[in-house]
Amino acid sequence: MKDMKENNFLAKWLANEISETELKKHLSEDEVRTYKKIISHSNQLEAPHFNAEEALKKLNLKNAGTKVRRVNFTKFMYRVAAIIIVVVSSYYFIGNHTKNYKTSLAQKITFDLPDKSTVNLNADSEVKYKTRNWKKNRNLSLKGEAYFKVAKGSKFTVKTALGNVTVLGTQFNVVARNNYFEVVCYEGLVSATYKNNIIKIPAGSSFKVINSKTIFEKTITASGPSWIQNHSSFKSMPYWYVVNELERQYNITVEFNNTLSNNLFTGNFTHNNLRNALKAITIPFNLNYTFVTNNKVRLN
Amino acid sequence: MGINKNNNYCDEKIFSDFFINQSKLLNNYIFYKCGNSNLASDIVQDAFLKFWSNCKKVIPGKAKSFLYTIANNLFLNEYSKSKVVLTFKNTQTKDYTNESPEFLLEEKEFGVKLQHAISNLSEAQRVAFLMNRIDGKKYKEIAEILEISVKAVEKRIHNALLNLRSEIENI
Repeated sequence: MKDMKENNFLAKWLANEISETELKKHLSEDEVRTYKKIISHSNQLEAPHFNAEEALKKLNLKNAGTKVRRVNFTKFMYRVAAIIIVVVSSYYFIGNHTKNYKTSLAQKITFDLPDKSTVNLNADSEVKYKTRNWKKNRNLSLKGEAYFKVAKGSKFTVKTALGNVTVLGTQFNVVARNNYFEVVCYEGLVSATYKNNIIKIPAGSSFKVINSKTIFEKTITASGPSWIQNHSSFKSMPYWYVVNELERQYNITVEFNNTLSNNLFTGNFTHNNLRNALKAITIPFNLNYTFVTNNKVRLN
Repeated sequence: MGINKNNNYCDEKIFSDFFINQSKLLNNYIFYKCGNSNLASDIVQDAFLKFWSNCKKVIPGKAKSFLYTIANNLFLNEYSKSKVVLTFKNTQTKDYTNESPEFLLEEKEFGVKLQHAISNLSEAQRVAFLMNRIDGKKYKEIAEILEISVKAVEKRIHNALLNLRSEIENI
């Protein structure tokens, strides 16, 4: 018999070159069941939406004509003038290309800015910026939550509906959602404006505004936000915010008694296991959870 | 000696047909590598533009591999590697309506674990696996596109499955 390691038997089974019965000779029932589950789930995955016709229209092909024609001089000059006008006005349109990055619920992405600064975008968030003159004018707008690693350079500004954050070269996390504004600085120095006040936030400190109260803390010892490592951690945060973040990470709805909304929660939950996450947020408050549908949970 | 009309990619109609035929799969391919659909569509645009400006250099019968070579180089040279977190839409199978909420929860959790596990595969294993599962490509087709042997494709898929299972069961 061939050595099983060299046989790539799983690949052969997947391509129907060997039967399941044959496979079961080499693996346990449990293992076979898991592989079948992996296959049935991955069969349901879809690649991102892509419309070829639309994309083709966006592709600006220069028309390389190869015919030689005799040109009338006046017509030629008119053409030159027209081209100059088109080039000059398109500079304003093309240069002003706006880039837009958006995450849906239960999605996180990472992307680079033109100066190699990086942005990690948490679920249900959006970043927009103009590419023109980026190196001299580093301005972007944020809705939701993002972690920034900013390359050294000119002033870098994050605009949100709740306040602005400005840095020179550093690593920091910003949350701007509904009633919650938070800036945590992990490296360097960050300056935030909130309601016409300027607050300096050095490395290892954070600034939050929750329920209209501002809190400044100097006890951040982590080197980055926890959501990048796929768990969310909270220190004395109102329960409504904790529940909302769980809803965002798992794309479900959670109902709970409003009297708990402003109770302060300290703890964390994982992004990889919904049951454990629910236990983590219900046990400290002596609550139970039930599934009303597979996407809706009630706490009581 | 005339130019073979079917291979003249400097002709806009032929180029456009080529674009319509190849662009979605190329977009999928780059997405499988990096998990970023914005990045993927940017690279597809840039790759086809570069292909167009080099249209005279295209060897008959090698257009697709030329395109993929351009796209791979763009991916390596111009864009730094960011952390891969792929998320996919799921097509829902409709047989689930009579199952208990508990079962549905387990299925949903399994789906999330699987997507994370796919993101954590090596790029080689992930791309081969997804080209087979989502694009429906046979091993021989994958071997041609990636310019490796069929046996190498089988090895990547075999190891992908091993790794997926071990990661899912260790969480």
